[in-house]
Amino acid sequence: MSADTAVRPRRNSLRPAWEEKPTLLGQFGKGTILTVVVAAVLVPLWVVVITSLSSEKTINAAGGYVFLPREFDPTAYVVIFSGGQITDAILVSTVVTIAGTALSLFVTVLAAYGLSRPGTLGHKPILFYFLLTFLIYPGMIPSYLVVTGLGMKDNLLALILPTAISAFNLVVLRAFFMSIPGELYDSARMDGAGELRILTRIVLPLSKAVTAVIGLFYAVGYWNAFFNAILYIDRNDLQPVQRVLQQFILAGQSPSTSGAAIAIPGLGSSVPPSLAIKMAVVVVTIVPALVIYPFVQRHFTKGVIVGAVKG
Amino acid sequence: MVSAPPIAAEPRAAAKKAKKKVKAVPRRQLSFGQRLRRDWPLLLMCLPAMLLLLVFHYVPALGNVIAFQDYNPFVGDDPLEAFLYSEWIGFGNFEYLFKNPAFWDSVVTTLSITAFQLVFYFPIPILLAILLNSIMSPRIRSLVQSVVYLPHFFSWVLVVSLFQMMLGGAGLLAQTVRQAGYTPPEIMTNPDTFMFLVTSQALWKDAGWGMIVFLAALAAIDTSLYEAAAADGAGRWRRMWHITLPGLRSVIVLLLILRLGDALNVGFEQFVLQREMVGREAAEVLDTYVYYQGIAVQQWGVGAAAGLFKAVIGILLIVGANKLAHRFGEQGIYSKS
Amino acid sequence: MRRTLSGASTNRRNFLGLVGLGTASLASGGALAGCSKEPTSKGSATTAEQAAGVVPNFKDSTLVQPDVKGVRPMADGYVKYPASLADAVTEKAITSGKPVTASTPWWGPAPPAANKLVEAVNADMGGVINFSIQDGNTYGDKLNTMLGARDVPELTCIPGWEINKLARFSEGVHALFEDLTPYLAGDKVNAYPLLAGLDTKAWQDSVWGGKLMAVPFPTDSPYPSVLYYRKDAADERGIAAPTTLDELYDFGKKFTNADKGEWAFGDIWLEVQQICGAGGSENGWMKTADGKVVHRHETPEYKRAVEFMARLYAEKLIHPDVAASKGGDQTTLFKGSKIFMYATGGGSWKETWPSAVQANPKFNMQAVKVFGADKGKPPVRWQARSAIIWTFIKKGLGQERTQELLRVLNYTAAPFGTKEWELQNYGAEGTHFQRDGSGTPVTNDLWTKEFANQYVFLGGRPPVVVGGPTIPTYAADFVNWGNDATQYLEKNPWDGIKVETPSQQAAIEQPTQDKITDIQRGRTPLGDFDKVISDWKAGGGDAARDFYAKVLADNGR
Repeated sequence: MSADTAVRPRRNSLRPAWEEKPTLLGQFGKGTILTVVVAAVLVPLWVVVITSLSSEKTINAAGGYVFLPREFDPTAYVVIFSGGQITDAILVSTVVTIAGTALSLFVTVLAAYGLSRPGTLGHKPILFYFLLTFLIYPGMIPSYLVVTGLGMKDNLLALILPTAISAFNLVVLRAFFMSIPGELYDSARMDGAGELRILTRIVLPLSKAVTAVIGLFYAVGYWNAFFNAILYIDRNDLQPVQRVLQQFILAGQSPSTSGAAIAIPGLGSSVPPSLAIKMAVVVVTIVPALVIYPFVQRHFTKGVIVGAVKG
Repeated sequence: MVSAPPIAAEPRAAAKKAKKKVKAVPRRQLSFGQRLRRDWPLLLMCLPAMLLLLVFHYVPALGNVIAFQDYNPFVGDDPLEAFLYSEWIGFGNFEYLFKNPAFWDSVVTTLSITAFQLVFYFPIPILLAILLNSIMSPRIRSLVQSVVYLPHFFSWVLVVSLFQMMLGGAGLLAQTVRQAGYTPPEIMTNPDTFMFLVTSQALWKDAGWGMIVFLAALAAIDTSLYEAAAADGAGRWRRMWHITLPGLRSVIVLLLILRLGDALNVGFEQFVLQREMVGREAAEVLDTYVYYQGIAVQQWGVGAAAGLFKAVIGILLIVGANKLAHRFGEQGIYSKS
Repeated sequence: MRRTLSGASTNRRNFLGLVGLGTASLASGGALAGCSKEPTSKGSATTAEQAAGVVPNFKDSTLVQPDVKGVRPMADGYVKYPASLADAVTEKAITSGKPVTASTPWWGPAPPAANKLVEAVNADMGGVINFSIQDGNTYGDKLNTMLGARDVPELTCIPGWEINKLARFSEGVHALFEDLTPYLAGDKVNAYPLLAGLDTKAWQDSVWGGKLMAVPFPTDSPYPSVLYYRKDAADERGIAAPTTLDELYDFGKKFTNADKGEWAFGDIWLEVQQICGAGGSENGWMKTADGKVVHRHETPEYKRAVEFMARLYAEKLIHPDVAASKGGDQTTLFKGSKIFMYATGGGSWKETWPSAVQANPKFNMQAVKVFGADKGKPPVRWQARSAIIWTFIKKGLGQERTQELLRVLNYTAAPFGTKEWELQNYGAEGTHFQRDGSGTPVTNDLWTKEFANQYVFLGGRPPVVVGGPTIPTYAADFVNWGNDATQYLEKNPWDGIKVETPSQQAAIEQPTQDKITDIQRGRTPLGDFDKVISDWKAGGGDAARDFYAKVLADNGR
């Protein structure tokens, strides 16, 4: 290392030795911006959480969202988790998310690597083949015919395979793969390494962060998806969690609130304060996001030194 | 740690080195057979993804033929025959769209929103990522990261209603202003500022989420470059200019090109929800127009035609943007070759 | 970038379902009966004469005398629960032992798969019905896909407002579903006595292309909207319910207090049109006394309604959340005394009141007695269709199976006052409900969890208005209000004709509505109104008039 790094100044932060001391103004500016940004997110989030824990009375008195906690009323959560379907649904979504993310990541990494060297055979047409999916969408009825034709109705594969590849994720991953210095490939190839070996030994270790991010994108996509379940899953015990949660959110939207001359028996009789339930659903949706993110973030550690692998 | 590779004395050169891409494999010299023998592992690797897309994307996408049909799902003996035997009407569905000035109005609105967001939305996640990356404390960094990406999980209905709660006519801001004895400003219902409104909603919802990919790109930048640059006396702004930004450049260019290809998509739900509050002129984007004129009135062929129109424009924009990227010496999505 | 990051490229149409806009468009547009159309379709209409010969003969199946008799088409009201219940179906409906597949909508959390309520009814029916419970808000997407792929269960329940959104339904209905005429026409219905108890008009509304295609679910009340107000708050402040348009405005002035976060009105547009006397039950169309076919857009009454709304918006008498967003939650605002009057469907009364009373015992939700714009000028009440939901039987199942399925539908059509009605609506005694002192069923948590109106939606039933222990006056309040309003019910000359509007004419509706909304919100001046209407006429309004007039002429009306 260069000589000056050896002279470690007295400091207690994680700031590398070579980086100059932050200016007061810079610190203040950063602090202000981040505080504003975080507050802009946290204040509404706070309202969401408080509302989810409020009684119907409090919500009515506030005319909707509640800012100040008056009580701790977990009814909304009790209603959601005693709905009967939710436990099945969490299991279903967990299976779909894990299996789907694994498959998607596997297939996407392979393809992104396969496309990472311009000039190889069929490179451009294949790239366009992927890019075009970004622009042309399949219709609902033809998709339904394909999926049911393959016998995947009421089958969890119907929630995985149709959305397994995202062209966006693929090209982003590819861009990262391509930014790996070419010398690394050359030296590996000279050592007689095959493509798969280069991918697993050189490319992936150097692309941990982006692979984790793409994995996150896929996982979030699978976890949040519900529309294919509407089309392909009729069995109540195979519904994914988002679909079940959606039903709680929309429970208040009876046709009569839209001017249909019909009273749906049962809708008015249940006690759940509808807004509290909606907000509880939002909270429940966010929890997995909070849980999963630290795992992704771990890979954002700075200082992946290319030379470390090379040497 | 193993010692870093020798670094050029000048930071600019160091940055250039970091950016150096995979070398394009020469191809002119080799015959097809030779190239196949050399590249088959790569082709094989693309195959699973291609097959999945073939079955679940391209085969069903053939249904877009209804853009040229007066599609009737009930002609013929089975649903497939319906796609063959529905009346073929040439470009009738396209004409239906193109002849209506309101369609072009919606295209213009959409493009202006895209342009506006390219300036006021697109750079924010990048700046946020750079800012966050410069924070030394890992605790603050991870706290901010996990907080700001949460709104991505909120539905548009919720985002709009939260904005309404804060900024609406009966919202927190308005009531505070009223209590102070003033007339509250109309933020949510003002067509003139609608573009600011939707962009700030989009920022609130997705800036943190969009930041993640840039954080990954920042993590991929070799730290020794900074160290060497600092050793050469480059200050923090110069380092950002000569190392950080070049390190992000390929991702930025890629996302920019993809966003351009998506220029006619600015979202649907966000606009449908707020259409009444500001009126059609401000909020009618292409997708809502097509919805009301095509899909909502069962003219699915019109919907498919609009989809194809968007695809063609998207392709043109991607190709154009890519050419432009090459002009500036960037790789873009695909290389010049 | 925003969209693609999610990684999934599902069709965007689903959003509408999610937002509830699918049905919300009914409320905002005032286009109460939608229309289906294709680029070149000429539109279609089933004639009334065709319908007359194929409907079942009516035979009253009512067993219990109502406490408040409804003036037809208003349903009867029951204040007390009958002391003894009749056993209306003694033979088992399902005899083959083969499970029945059925698809029904539901607006709430789907019930668990292991379901004691379903088991209890199934046992009473002698077989198994496997329900696919669909989310009512996205049901339209699902139906369009199922129908387009021609993949339907044995029993498909389709709400009327979804039929309006299904492509080429008038053709699809014959391709996919069984013609029930040979089973039910005239006296043949006697084999299914409870189906014979469904209203004749509802049956007439179940005829497509001259064939009886479905079993109807008759509408609860003939009114697409009701104007509700907070009677408790009005009494407390000594403000009477309005009886003229001016008084309605005064009501708004008196109740609006922005500093306290209170606004008088939610969305009352549907009602203001009727108060002003703008008719047009048939998708906005009506026939004047001198025999001309006109749309409500063209009437001075409609213009007056628009002007009135513009005034309400300009003077900020409508709650800003409602004015701003389609997602505005009027029910919560109403319960919380943030708004005091709003218009919505008749069903909301029973859905809103009970939970509000639990939080606030004084809460009293009442319908405003129907009134006209000026003293001596009567209002117009639009008339909803007689059937609101239909159940279709899959085509080609064979005579025996079709008959078996009709027996199932006969069972589910059991009227109020029978054991079957109670079982389907409240579940099993002891398991899903207890009786209070008066014998009225009081349901428990298990019922809330398991009940999804599964059976009720299948078969229709003679509609009745029944309250509950928390809202004892509801049944009488509703029926009395409805009885009074029947005098103003508009006669719909297209009644009993299934009109499908041609494509071009439906597409002009949204832009016109948009422009009218712009005027109401003050974004464009009132002076533009006439121009909007003349544009509408030229853009397809006049063509639509010819179409509707021709339908009438073809039917000799």
